[in-house]
Amino acid sequence: MKGRLFLCLLLIAIVLPFIVVAGVSIGASKTITFPPTEFSLRWYGVLFSESEWLKAIGISVLIAVGAAIISVSLALAINYVLWRLNTRFSRFTFALGLGPFMLPPIILALGASLFWAEVGWYGRIEATIISHGIFLVTLPLVVVARGFASLTDDVVEAATMMGASPWQLFTTIVLPLITPYLLTGFVLVAILSFNEYLVANMISGFIVETLPIKIFNNVRYGYSPVVASASMFFVTVTVTALILIARSTDLLALLGAPKDS
Amino acid sequence: MNLFVPRILGLCAFGILSVFFLLPLAYMVVVSFYKADPMAFYQVAFTFENYQKYFSGFYLNVTLRTLWSTAVSAVIVVSLAFTAMLSIVELSRKWQLFWVILLLSMMCLSEVIVGFAWLILLSESAGIPRLLGALGIWDDPRSLSPSFGAMMIGLVTLGFSVVSLVLYPQIAGRDKSVEEAARTLGTPPYLVPLYVTLPIFMQTLIALTLTMFVYLLGVFVMPVMLGRPSDWTMTVMISDKALGDANLPLGAALAVVMLIITGALLLLSLYVSRKRRV
Repeated sequence: MKGRLFLCLLLIAIVLPFIVVAGVSIGASKTITFPPTEFSLRWYGVLFSESEWLKAIGISVLIAVGAAIISVSLALAINYVLWRLNTRFSRFTFALGLGPFMLPPIILALGASLFWAEVGWYGRIEATIISHGIFLVTLPLVVVARGFASLTDDVVEAATMMGASPWQLFTTIVLPLITPYLLTGFVLVAILSFNEYLVANMISGFIVETLPIKIFNNVRYGYSPVVASASMFFVTVTVTALILIARSTDLLALLGAPKDS
Repeated sequence: MNLFVPRILGLCAFGILSVFFLLPLAYMVVVSFYKADPMAFYQVAFTFENYQKYFSGFYLNVTLRTLWSTAVSAVIVVSLAFTAMLSIVELSRKWQLFWVILLLSMMCLSEVIVGFAWLILLSESAGIPRLLGALGIWDDPRSLSPSFGAMMIGLVTLGFSVVSLVLYPQIAGRDKSVEEAARTLGTPPYLVPLYVTLPIFMQTLIALTLTMFVYLLGVFVMPVMLGRPSDWTMTVMISDKALGDANLPLGAALAVVMLIITGALLLLSLYVSRKRRV
């Protein structure tokens, strides 16, 4: 009973800030006030009609998709090699892929910023895409590893005995079985990249202005309720994508929970 | 012959990670020994100047302050998440899924959005102060941010979802027989989590606290949005040096110090989890 009460309080603390933001975003007033006295969708109108906001959304989507493709391909390659060879070197590569999540984000961000400036790619969107793809690889790496762990030996052995080449084995057995894991990894990286601020800002925040960077700059230097509607746009996209994952896969099992709890 | 393709693939993957992950870090260490130059970004040199500046006082102070606020928030995050997860795994599968989606959404949401949401909730014109003022509880409602407390709330919000999601499978799949035995032998049920479950998970929790510490060490948005300048952490200083003052070598030196702290903590966390296996 006490546990339920605690959970309710926690739920309120998690959800309340977003209810207030949602309230601000549908208010008609020009300043940020809550509760709204008049309702209007004008701030969403501004978000989806002003070219600077649309541009930021476009840049963010492009980076998110590009980063997700890089991340998932890399995670697939590392896991496949580990599964085929299981050498010390392949285990080391896997461990290296876990690295980005073990370091404070600011260190990765500063390193990437210095690196890209030296390469001469400052201000190019490719730099942000590659860095996001590399720094977020940990997530698909772990998720896809669960997929490879679910491949049972007898299926693989049967296919090999029937004379399947490694390529046939990969395309007809491995790939179909791990596709849900690949998709989950793809969506997670895309969402995280879409929301990422620090790395994107350090690499070339002045030129490649993503949606989080734009929101942050707006908040820091005087803001209007457009920021609230942009935030709600984020929340909607993120939650929808996650619910879609939950619909198509067993999310709890994917996270490692026992099947029948 | 057969293994040629996976070998090449493995080498490529390793190469990509090395170039885009390890090389930038190594380059950052190199830059930390360069000379600052206000006109260009830096001058190629080999000097300990930046590290001397670090140990001269101000930045050392910032480091201590950062370690303190980060440690406190990491401990709060792990205790909250552990307590919450013990209750969540007892819920029906449908509600568990609800919580997992909620936590995943929280984890994926930008720091910027979470910070902004709290900023509004704590503000004078739209949030808790206004509510308390309207209810007559607070005569003179003022904005509750920026403040140390607001920054801590932001940090805890960020970390909570991650730790909960890591703990979820471990707590959901735990062997409950020891707890049952304790109850059968007469331990009051409300004391079982404290005397039985907590000690079982102690090492996991310590390792998680250390990991969380490392993560929160590098958070930039929360201190800037919700904290006062006197609460600003090393991360804010690093970013200010790099983007604001264009003193990249000093920023890099600060980041190297942070890298060393991180490395020490990761080794410690590795040691803690090794001990568990023995």
